[in-house]
Amino acid sequence: MATKRKAAKRSKSAKKRGASSQVLARRAVSIATNEQKSAKQRVAALAEAPLAAFGNDKDLAAVLSVLRNKDEPIAVRLGALESLQAASFSADVFAPYRGDYLATLRKVVDDPDPELRQRALGVLMRDKDGFAQQKLLDGLKNPDKALVPPEKALQLLSYDVHAEAYSVARDIVKTPPNDEARREALRLLAADASSAPMFEKLLRDKKELREIRQISASALNALNPEKLQKHAREILLDRSDYDDIKATSLTALAQFGDDESLGKDKALLESVDRLSAGKAPSKYKQSARRFLKKYDR
Amino acid sequence: MQKAVRASPMSETQFAALVDAIAADPHQREELPALLREDHSLYDERGAAAIVRMRGWVLLAIARFGVSDAALIFLLEELDTGTDAYLLAAAARALRSYPRPTGALAPFVMRALARISYRDEPVLLETYGEYAVSSASTSPVRELLTTLAWLGPNARGILRELERFRGQSGGLSRKLRIDVDRTVHAIRSGDETGKPGTDSCCATPPDGVRSVSSWPLNCRGDAEPVESITLQDDKGELITFNEFFKGQPSIVVFFYTRCDNPMKCSLTVTKLARVQKMLEAQGFGDRIHTSAITYDPAFDLPARLRIYGEDRGVRMNAHHRMLRAVDDNDALRRHFELGVNFIGSLVNRHRIEAYVLDIGGRVATCFERIHWDEQQVVTRAIELLNETQS
Repeated sequence: MATKRKAAKRSKSAKKRGASSQVLARRAVSIATNEQKSAKQRVAALAEAPLAAFGNDKDLAAVLSVLRNKDEPIAVRLGALESLQAASFSADVFAPYRGDYLATLRKVVDDPDPELRQRALGVLMRDKDGFAQQKLLDGLKNPDKALVPPEKALQLLSYDVHAEAYSVARDIVKTPPNDEARREALRLLAADASSAPMFEKLLRDKKELREIRQISASALNALNPEKLQKHAREILLDRSDYDDIKATSLTALAQFGDDESLGKDKALLESVDRLSAGKAPSKYKQSARRFLKKYDR
Repeated sequence: MQKAVRASPMSETQFAALVDAIAADPHQREELPALLREDHSLYDERGAAAIVRMRGWVLLAIARFGVSDAALIFLLEELDTGTDAYLLAAAARALRSYPRPTGALAPFVMRALARISYRDEPVLLETYGEYAVSSASTSPVRELLTTLAWLGPNARGILRELERFRGQSGGLSRKLRIDVDRTVHAIRSGDETGKPGTDSCCATPPDGVRSVSSWPLNCRGDAEPVESITLQDDKGELITFNEFFKGQPSIVVFFYTRCDNPMKCSLTVTKLARVQKMLEAQGFGDRIHTSAITYDPAFDLPARLRIYGEDRGVRMNAHHRMLRAVDDNDALRRHFELGVNFIGSLVNRHRIEAYVLDIGGRVATCFERIHWDEQQVVTRAIELLNETQS
């Protein structure tokens, strides 16, 4: 009997909590959508609004309308987007509003504010949205139509392996608008099996930026791990290559190499020995020593 | 291993115009379903989103003059395995132009409804390639409900499930709840028995729709063109097609690890694991081979194959392997007439397909597009074993 009473009490207080969170949500939404309030107050209300608990079309429509309205302060609009994003994690509660949310995001991808554009495109691309994908590809092919910088567009397109972004990314690697775009294009191509030969070339090119060579090593590990093992060994044997690239190569061998053959590879062990005793920064020397220890050297 | 990369010769706008022209010509209309084959050259080197737009437009063109039996399988496939809002909405709308509404269609619609209800979104079906920027348009859930209402009493088999769907805590807006009520009413009206039927879990396509094809011994295509193809398994071991597939019946499914539709590759490989258990339980574990061959051999290296199989409970040993073609993926594609297409080496669209091969490595039965039944596949393989013994 006592247990029953306790359970009833618990359920009552849970209901109360649910009701009070809805009241709080409604109050927060009414502040957030009130143009008479300061932007700061409205942003704070949006951040505190437990939007996941709101359960009526009007509240959602009001917040969506803030997001859509170009006359609203941008901070409030970004706050609205953040609240909606948080709410969208409760798939069950948010599902009835998902359509309106996506339609609104598509509406604001060409907003005058660059941050809002980028964030809306980001949310849509995480959902593999065909509309956002088309806009990003159009912008890469025709920079006059670009909604975000090329490096950002490539980053967002990489969320969907099935986006037709590989050929555009290859073009950007050949004639990059800037270094960041080239780097992002290479990161995107790290999932493209036919780009493996290009990554081999980049990895072995000593004139290439170190960061690009490291991206290439990582890409090769995914696309053709045997080739990476071969190149990593050759880089370690090459006295003229850079210490940081040698350290990357060492990691590749240590993590993914064949222990038996590595342990018998005298030339390789000697070159690692040189790295551990040379003038390389201490962190690289430590890696080299760990590697040698693994093979009782 | 990879297809030569070439530019797609036709723009999407031209494609849409072509589809409209074919649909407008009564003598050509019957060719529209052929445009839904994944391996059609029109889909070469396109992104997955472009293919969604293109296939959706074909479905909607078919809807304008009525779905034939030849086209119905493509609609049911979409409803059975599709996860894209636009394609599901287009398939649901197209289905309403099928001249013979029957109860066998309802489970497909209901399953699609359950799958998309948490991912409903506005879609525009009137103009090619347009995306909705307001919720005033239709949506897959709305189209699916309208299709169930169109089926009316024919859909009473799924009535209980639809009522459960109506009763779920979230997922539906107030407007859609009203639509569900209307649909329930439409199904109930005219239903003399008034009894709700069974669930939609075990749908079979209506008569006239072919998702399984079998060939008698003397009509099977020769495996000769692929006999010497080298395959690599989940352990990195090389083996020819002949070595693995000749000498006993085999069950073969196709998949790729980067498939993002959980209703396709992931489920297919999980079902293969169940097939293996059934074979084992019936004492055929070593007498019938099973394999899952990747569509994407350039990316699906042995380690990826192994992990993908292990994660889905696939048993891997000398008789059961996850495989990739090392040298001539295109020959394999031609031999099985695979329903797949590519952008570069990456799959851009594929159907579900499972094959049962006889002891000569020849295709004896093909299960395609709609989810295959594990027991049916096992039974067919055992029949082939007996065929060789008799």
